[in-house]
Amino acid sequence: MASAMKKNFAANLVLIVTGIFIFFPLYAATEFSLRNGAEHTHGFAAYRWIFAQSGFIENLGITLRVTSLAVVLNLLIMVPTVTWLHLSGQRYKRLVEILTILPLIFPVVALATGAQLAMPDFMQNSVYELSFFYVVIAMPYTYRALDIGLSGHPLSTITNAARNLGASWLKTLSSVVIPTIRPSILAALFLMVALSLGEFTLAQLLHWSTFPVWVTNVSQQNVIGATALAIGSLFFAWILLFGFSFLGSKNSTTVQEEE
Amino acid sequence: MRAQRLVVAATSAAILVSGLVVLTAPAQAAVNYCTVQNLQQAGGMDALVKAAKAEKELNIITVPRDWANYGEAIDLFTNAFGIKINDDNPEGSSAYEIQTIKTAPASKQPDVVDIGVSVLPDALGIGRKALFAPYKVATWNDIPAEWKDSNGLWYGDYYGLMAISYDASLPKAPTSIKALLTDPAFKGAFALSGDPTSSQQALMGLFAIAAANGGSATNIMPGIEALKAAKAAGNFVSVIGNSANYAAGAYKATITWDFNGPGAIATSAAAGKPLKFVIPSDVALQGTPYLQAINTKAPHCAAARLWEEFLYSQNIGKGSKDITAADKKLSGSKLFKLIMGGQNIWVAGAAHPITEAAMIKKKTIVDAPEGFAVPKTAKRIAPSPDQQTEQKAIVVTEWPKL
Amino acid sequence: MKQSTTSNVDVKGALVKKGAFHGFLTSSPIALLPLFLFLLVFFLWPIGALTGNAFKSNEGAFTFSNVTMLFQDPYRMAFKNSITLGLLSGLVGAIPGLAIAMAIEKQGNQTLKKFIASISGVLANTGGVPLAFMFLAAFGPAGLVISALKSVGLDLYGLGFTLFSFTGLIIVYAYFQIPIMVIVITPALTSLRKEWKDSAANLGASKFQYWQKVGLPILMPSFIACYLLLFASAFSAFATARALTVGNIALVPLQIGALVDGNVTINQANLGYALAFGMIIISLVAMIPYIWIQNRTARWQVR
Repeated sequence: MASAMKKNFAANLVLIVTGIFIFFPLYAATEFSLRNGAEHTHGFAAYRWIFAQSGFIENLGITLRVTSLAVVLNLLIMVPTVTWLHLSGQRYKRLVEILTILPLIFPVVALATGAQLAMPDFMQNSVYELSFFYVVIAMPYTYRALDIGLSGHPLSTITNAARNLGASWLKTLSSVVIPTIRPSILAALFLMVALSLGEFTLAQLLHWSTFPVWVTNVSQQNVIGATALAIGSLFFAWILLFGFSFLGSKNSTTVQEEE
Repeated sequence: MRAQRLVVAATSAAILVSGLVVLTAPAQAAVNYCTVQNLQQAGGMDALVKAAKAEKELNIITVPRDWANYGEAIDLFTNAFGIKINDDNPEGSSAYEIQTIKTAPASKQPDVVDIGVSVLPDALGIGRKALFAPYKVATWNDIPAEWKDSNGLWYGDYYGLMAISYDASLPKAPTSIKALLTDPAFKGAFALSGDPTSSQQALMGLFAIAAANGGSATNIMPGIEALKAAKAAGNFVSVIGNSANYAAGAYKATITWDFNGPGAIATSAAAGKPLKFVIPSDVALQGTPYLQAINTKAPHCAAARLWEEFLYSQNIGKGSKDITAADKKLSGSKLFKLIMGGQNIWVAGAAHPITEAAMIKKKTIVDAPEGFAVPKTAKRIAPSPDQQTEQKAIVVTEWPKL
Repeated sequence: MKQSTTSNVDVKGALVKKGAFHGFLTSSPIALLPLFLFLLVFFLWPIGALTGNAFKSNEGAFTFSNVTMLFQDPYRMAFKNSITLGLLSGLVGAIPGLAIAMAIEKQGNQTLKKFIASISGVLANTGGVPLAFMFLAAFGPAGLVISALKSVGLDLYGLGFTLFSFTGLIIVYAYFQIPIMVIVITPALTSLRKEWKDSAANLGASKFQYWQKVGLPILMPSFIACYLLLFASAFSAFATARALTVGNIALVPLQIGALVDGNVTINQANLGYALAFGMIIISLVAMIPYIWIQNRTARWQVR
């Protein structure tokens, strides 16, 4: 009993100390972002500032279009591949895992320089080249999201069961497979969107003006505005993720595999 | 009836005359602005402005808005001529500019560059074709001979002096570099403006520190030694001296180009931490001028040349906020004469334009902003490009040992 | 559980109708072709082009000189510093991260779990200028916490603490390293089934013995794998290091930046690519144990 209390105390202590470490930088930056500059008062002026800058809609549009293509590419390439891996390609899983973790190892600077050396002109003249590279950069995360999500369900078992019960392949896909893997697909797509909305280095090195690039350039003369943007997007992403985690919980009942 | 006939007569006469004009005018469409080498070859200012407007855009690169008042130059050019300016990576370096010319696809090429002297050898390509297209602006003769290429490939635009920028709330103002590094009153105050192994401005700051401590343009080690001592004393903070770090209170003073002054003062005021500038009383380091050049692969050739003419114009005229709709309808040359010239825009940014001497003689120069006067006690030092190359090799090996 | 075989025969033994969708179920690796092609064109080809340049001189001739320069100062120093930073920062992230993940497992509160998961996901992606600014605003010389402590008499900077040092960098890196650890080790912790703990207790093992013989051996491979991930992350971090130092700490990513994009040393881009090549080799070396470990531990995780 005493040791259980001690264990709980230790656990709580760890959480509290880390909480302090995490809290103060966030708090300090938030306080700074709420300043009204010369007047030494506080307010949300800095948060409204970016919306009033000319170029906001134009650059946001560019990023949204690039993101849309990236999402479509992800759907076309990652989803069928991972589904196939779970249905009939288990022996190739290790290989694909290794392949998809490679983009983590290579610095983005390397990819950008290599891209300019290698890619043909017609690709380099279109901003949509970014979509293709974003799919590559996101691959370690989207693959894992899809893989872990699908692992929670014995996909082969239920597809076989559906087939046994007489369902055609079309019906199996639409009524069994897709609803089962939908939360994983949504998780992977969410990661893709989050990366694309915030990716800066590659876009700038390839000389494109996307939303993150434009925001960085425009914030150079406004330190409070830049901080407000960083903090604002941080909190926004957090709220989204937090809310999203409640959405997924209904469908993601993990089924224990029997050995 | 008579009125009607008069109108018809007048109209036909006008058509006849304009037809004659079109027939006898030089074949303007035949001018290839990508090979034009001066204003005469372009067909005059009217023609150049017309062609530039037709191109609609201009690509510039690594130009911060608060650097030498470039923001005003960009706004004025865009307002007056309706040409959209795309600025690639405003905070980038000169090497980034040359790298971009070498590797970027056609649509992403910059039209013009503003580079530091150190990247010039790479750009001129010993043994291969130079990256620049020759062009001599209208005020070419006012540019000092040592700061322009005889063929017009590159030309100096402005230079600056090293100044101390400091927090207005410091108990006393740091008036000399030596005091800044040694006086205990400035504990935790001084940061270098960047990494001297990659930033030209920081390297020049190191030269200034060297000069204040017995070094010279050929001996930068005393500067590094002085910083080592300042670090031990606590005066030197090893963080980049930029506006974000300043607003966060990481440092309180740095040395930077005087032409960064007006912009930095405005940015800091907006962030609630007023900044002041002063030229140090012990060292007046004069930097080598930055250089302008037109890219041979420029996608907007006429706009590029108009931009250069604009930057080297010595006019005193209207600023970006004073342009009216009526002004925009004026012919190219009239509009050009109306607006403030680039050389004077730089003066307003506390920079020293390259044609300064000629402008002072011709009395076409505006007043410089207050507070950037050079103290008489300051020792003048101006490291040449060769001296810079020599000393930076030492910096690259010694700096990480700080 | 027996995975389905790759034959055309369903469980009952009857031949399944062949069709387009059944073709999808083929076991031949041709199904991986889209992924392979995509990676080849948009990843391996650019990286290959870059690696080629690492071995080129400025005139374009093949040379090893760029790579041999890596073994001299200041580049040798930079590799030493970067590797040390990776190893230390990995530890500083891994141990607290594990402690937190275990603490949360202990608490069991689902909402707390989601809360920590979501904030870890967000903080794991912080870095660069915003992160540096957050720390400067809180723990910098004029930071909120430092000023507050000064007003009660504790002058941390006077005592020698500083954010602008190797140690300071490790502290700041922890801000994203710890969340990464929490995110990555939680599935491994979840896979430590409660039944095992109960069975061990039933068989007479003490808590210590459980951890010694069962818990740690199962957890250790995952822990090492996550540690290697943290190493790679700290090793290649660029923006944060640049925002907090002024080049006085030699680090490989910073030097690549200076060579490829700097204002001072020009015409040495190929040397920068050689540095990048060196980084890639080291990261690959760090990844090999990771992959091997993942192979070994997969069967213990909830799949």
